[in-house]
Amino acid sequence: MRRFRFAARALEIALAASVIVTGTTPAVAETPKAGGTLNIMLREDLSQGFAIHETATISTVWPAGPCFSNLVLFDPAKKVESADTIIGELAEKWSWQDNYKNLVFFLKKGVKWHDGQPFTSKDVKFTFDMVRGAPDAPGKLRLNPRKDWYANVEAVEAPDPHTVVFRMKRAQPSLLMMLASGYSPVYAAHVPPASYRTGCIGTGPFKVKEWRKGEFVDYVKNPDYFVRGRPYLDGLRYVVIVERGTRTAAMQAGQLDAAMPGETSKGTMEQLKKAVPQMVFNTVAASVSDNIIMNVKKPPFDNPKVRLAVSYAIDRRGLIQAAHQGGAVLGAAMLPRPYGVWGMAEKDLLALPGYGKPADMKVRARKLLAEAGITADKPLKVEMATRAIAVYVDMASFVINELKQVGIEATLKQVETAQWHPMATRGEYQIGANLTGLGTEDPDANFYENYACGSPRNYSLYCSEEVMKLFDRQSQELDPKKRQEMVIAIQKKLEDDAARPILDQRLDYFAHWPHVKGLTPHNNIYNFARMQDVWRDK
Amino acid sequence: MKTYIAQRLGIGAVTLFGMSVVIFLLLRLAPGNIVDILFSTGGYVNPSERAAIEQELGLDKPIWAQYVDWLGQLAVGNLGKSYRYDLPAWEIIKPLIPVTLELATLSLVISVVLGVPTGVLSAIRQDTRLDYVLRVFSLAGLSMPSFWLGMVIILGLVAWFGWIPPVTYVRPGENLGLHAIQFLLPSLAVGYRSSALIMRMTRSSLLEVMREDYVRTAWAKGQTGGVVIWRHALKNAILPVVTVIGIEFAFLIGGLVVTETVFNLPGLARFLVQAILWRDYPIVQNLVMLIAIVVILSNLFVDMLYGVLDPRVRYGN
Amino acid sequence: MATRPLGLDEAAALPARRDRGGVRAVLARFCRKKPLGAAGGAIMLVIALTAIFADQIQTYDPIATDAAKSLSAPSREHWLGSDHLGRDIYSRIVHGARVSLAVGLASTLLGSALGGVIGLLSGYVGGTTDLLTQRVMDILQGLPLLVLALVMSAALGPSIPNVVLAISIPIIPRAARVIRSSVLTIREMQYVEAARAIGLRHLRIAFRHILPNTIGPFIVLGTAQLGGAILVEAALSFLGVGVPEPYPSWGRMLSVSAAEYAQKAPWLVLFPGIAISLAVFGSNLLGDALRDTLDPRLRGA
Repeated sequence: MRRFRFAARALEIALAASVIVTGTTPAVAETPKAGGTLNIMLREDLSQGFAIHETATISTVWPAGPCFSNLVLFDPAKKVESADTIIGELAEKWSWQDNYKNLVFFLKKGVKWHDGQPFTSKDVKFTFDMVRGAPDAPGKLRLNPRKDWYANVEAVEAPDPHTVVFRMKRAQPSLLMMLASGYSPVYAAHVPPASYRTGCIGTGPFKVKEWRKGEFVDYVKNPDYFVRGRPYLDGLRYVVIVERGTRTAAMQAGQLDAAMPGETSKGTMEQLKKAVPQMVFNTVAASVSDNIIMNVKKPPFDNPKVRLAVSYAIDRRGLIQAAHQGGAVLGAAMLPRPYGVWGMAEKDLLALPGYGKPADMKVRARKLLAEAGITADKPLKVEMATRAIAVYVDMASFVINELKQVGIEATLKQVETAQWHPMATRGEYQIGANLTGLGTEDPDANFYENYACGSPRNYSLYCSEEVMKLFDRQSQELDPKKRQEMVIAIQKKLEDDAARPILDQRLDYFAHWPHVKGLTPHNNIYNFARMQDVWRDK
Repeated sequence: MKTYIAQRLGIGAVTLFGMSVVIFLLLRLAPGNIVDILFSTGGYVNPSERAAIEQELGLDKPIWAQYVDWLGQLAVGNLGKSYRYDLPAWEIIKPLIPVTLELATLSLVISVVLGVPTGVLSAIRQDTRLDYVLRVFSLAGLSMPSFWLGMVIILGLVAWFGWIPPVTYVRPGENLGLHAIQFLLPSLAVGYRSSALIMRMTRSSLLEVMREDYVRTAWAKGQTGGVVIWRHALKNAILPVVTVIGIEFAFLIGGLVVTETVFNLPGLARFLVQAILWRDYPIVQNLVMLIAIVVILSNLFVDMLYGVLDPRVRYGN
Repeated sequence: MATRPLGLDEAAALPARRDRGGVRAVLARFCRKKPLGAAGGAIMLVIALTAIFADQIQTYDPIATDAAKSLSAPSREHWLGSDHLGRDIYSRIVHGARVSLAVGLASTLLGSALGGVIGLLSGYVGGTTDLLTQRVMDILQGLPLLVLALVMSAALGPSIPNVVLAISIPIIPRAARVIRSSVLTIREMQYVEAARAIGLRHLRIAFRHILPNTIGPFIVLGTAQLGGAILVEAALSFLGVGVPEPYPSWGRMLSVSAAEYAQKAPWLVLFPGIAISLAVFGSNLLGDALRDTLDPRLRGA
């Protein structure tokens, strides 16, 4: 935190110096204007209202973001997220102690909840005791998707009203990354957690004015916001438009000022660009990957050769072109550079199964299948499950076509939303086409959620003691360079085991009108929803 | 007359009762319930948490117990709580009613204004080119998927004018002009379709009446064509048309489902679809019952109107 | 055409089925007197042939993707253009005919047959059975077509047999009502009383004598409902609860992806919609003409 202050001061001095020297104001940034409101896109109504801790979907985080504050946050102005871009929100400063086993936060003073109550460390303890499922926690969540993020937290202490200490069972530098995610806001201790499903008492830059079900959420500026001079806008309106064509038309006609993260595909971008040349597009990684889940506990995919063959058979670049018109990039479990800092280098990626020339890859696939007893005369018949949503179905259709060419005949089975997770979690499927979104670009969040033995979101039921040890080792590694090497090695191992072959990492071309300023999309759809620095230029 | 109404209402009540059972069972036939959907927004499943929520919502009770609960609530006018929004169902449904009502009424008005005159024209100019053109035109309206028409309208508008009607509902009090524009296009899309049915009905009914003896007698007596048409033919031809209008009003809901979705109007029909997808039993059950009541009442109203307009119809036979 | 059904003796006295010359003459007369109906019939014939010979007249595999040709305009290669996955629109429309027609026909036949039998028995037996059956029919009919089909589809899950079932259910009460009123009229006819007098069993009377005379209204009803069934299937697929992948369905071709790329590739939205409209248009024209010829009393039902 002190580093940031120093850097900011240095920048001020440098700017002042440059003005004196050159006699002109450098075009660093325009001066933000206060006032005005924005209409922002929502693709569906809020599921469970503003209860971010009870959902795992962008449809809650995006519209609920302005109401809340985190302890720490990824710098809104920086596109690429990492431990270096974390700034304080409710925390004034923080420090790791005892070799990354204790995390101490010093909280800002004078912060008020939207109902006027003062914010103290009690609220932080309340929130995170609740989220980590502490046995004596006064607050209880009805659903708790991210309990495992805090599996290593032994206790949360609030020694005084402006200090919080997270005591860990072991060193885990990633804890800070998880606390910075849009998924980790602070709830108020003096309201029941269930109340967030219908309304929102937060400390954020905007207060909820009205939530008209199925229509919109209206926000009004928080006059007591703890950051002086913010927010710039007077209000926000998140408009629900379920029909995709109507959504794009509304953007085009100017009835929406900004899109929703993850909703501007390449095709939509090209259309909008043609119709509205001045529209601004930001190419970012969505932190959502297309991947194949295979039930490793049941034949035929309990045979690693068959799994590997599937990975070899799929032409990733072809999929990127076919299903996304080029709007995705090659990547393994973590975002590739330059989108994320944990990504594998290009040359390492190309060595992974399925990244070479498609024809060669398919030959390898057929060979592997032959070793497993599957040939063109005895094709393998499987059922590929996918959610009954267009983005899933398009991907699945392409994959089925690819598999057909190596001797795997897959029929598509569309599964309704309500059935998908139970089916996947119970392993009642053979192979499936899946999308995975990551709340924060951190190896711990990814590995433990999606690949750890017994994790509810490890749909493949993949379980390797050896790999679990690798997860634990990298999680405790304090040297960033060493840790990065470990993470890259793990990604390679996961792809070689074909635990959950990653097909691509999706891109989003986040669109907004040019008069929307100060909105910088990140390489993660969940982490730029706060809106405190956004302003209107007309 | 009174006994007839009482009889019909009685039958209506029985029908409603039967319908409640049907919709209740059908909904629970659908795989997955609200708890599954909630967990899908959480991206995981946990059996003990799931059991807790089911108990909280009363979904763990046996089906017949849930049905009795629901009926009991209805009897005292309690429409229950929406599973999704955790708010009283009536509170959520109430603001949707005027939107759908207005859309349905406007569509009906447009369909009558469009359908009756074209039907009359087509009948008096039977088998001429005008007749064929009108029939083809109206049949096209009947053949086009209403959602397609809506899509084409919106996409055409934004492509050619860079403008679409407001996507947020504008109350009549807020801005009457904008509100009118917002409702005009979807009403046209739905009304065009209904007008086809009304046109056909008007045409065939008028044709039949024109063949009747008393019309020919009037002609023979020397009354001019126009007067004959208006005085004798139309008065009797209007009866089946009224029936169709009545029936259409109820069936408009089908066309409204997709139209409200495409034009983003916050009405009952669009909400119903979302509620079905979310397995929000209280909302779906009560909305469907509401629609059923509207249908039964409008059928009754139409039949009574029929009786008033046509003295030949007898009651209580 | 006949204004009253044939009596027993007259029916028995009819000459045996004629040779082709007779059928051709009937068709020719139909075309002359009802040109619109003939046009409708021609349209339906073309669509039916397209559906039957879809494999032969397609230019590409309808589910084969071709990323390089994504969203290409109509050209010599792709007659009606291609969609965002590079699939040929023309081939998908041709196969979509198979799906839409099959689903439409199957659900109409199923619904009409079931409804017809219910209406026949209900109308013939009369009494309390009739009253009760009518109430059940009221229940099914009280719900708008699309809503009922939507709930059923959600209840049963997306698959072709389920969609057929879902669409057929709302048709049952409508079919039952038409057939029942027809039966009520015929039942009072003298020749039926005569048959009863002779001592023929009820079932035999119902099926041998009454049923054939309801064929007219049945055909009319069928063609009228076919158009509606095709539209409902399209709407269900559009909403995402209809015919699932990979079977190309006209309705599903119009959902999500089409709207998203509509401005770049308007052919995605135009052609499937035109296909649906044409099919329904043809069936309605044909239905109208058949109704006018077979039973003038049912005009406007």
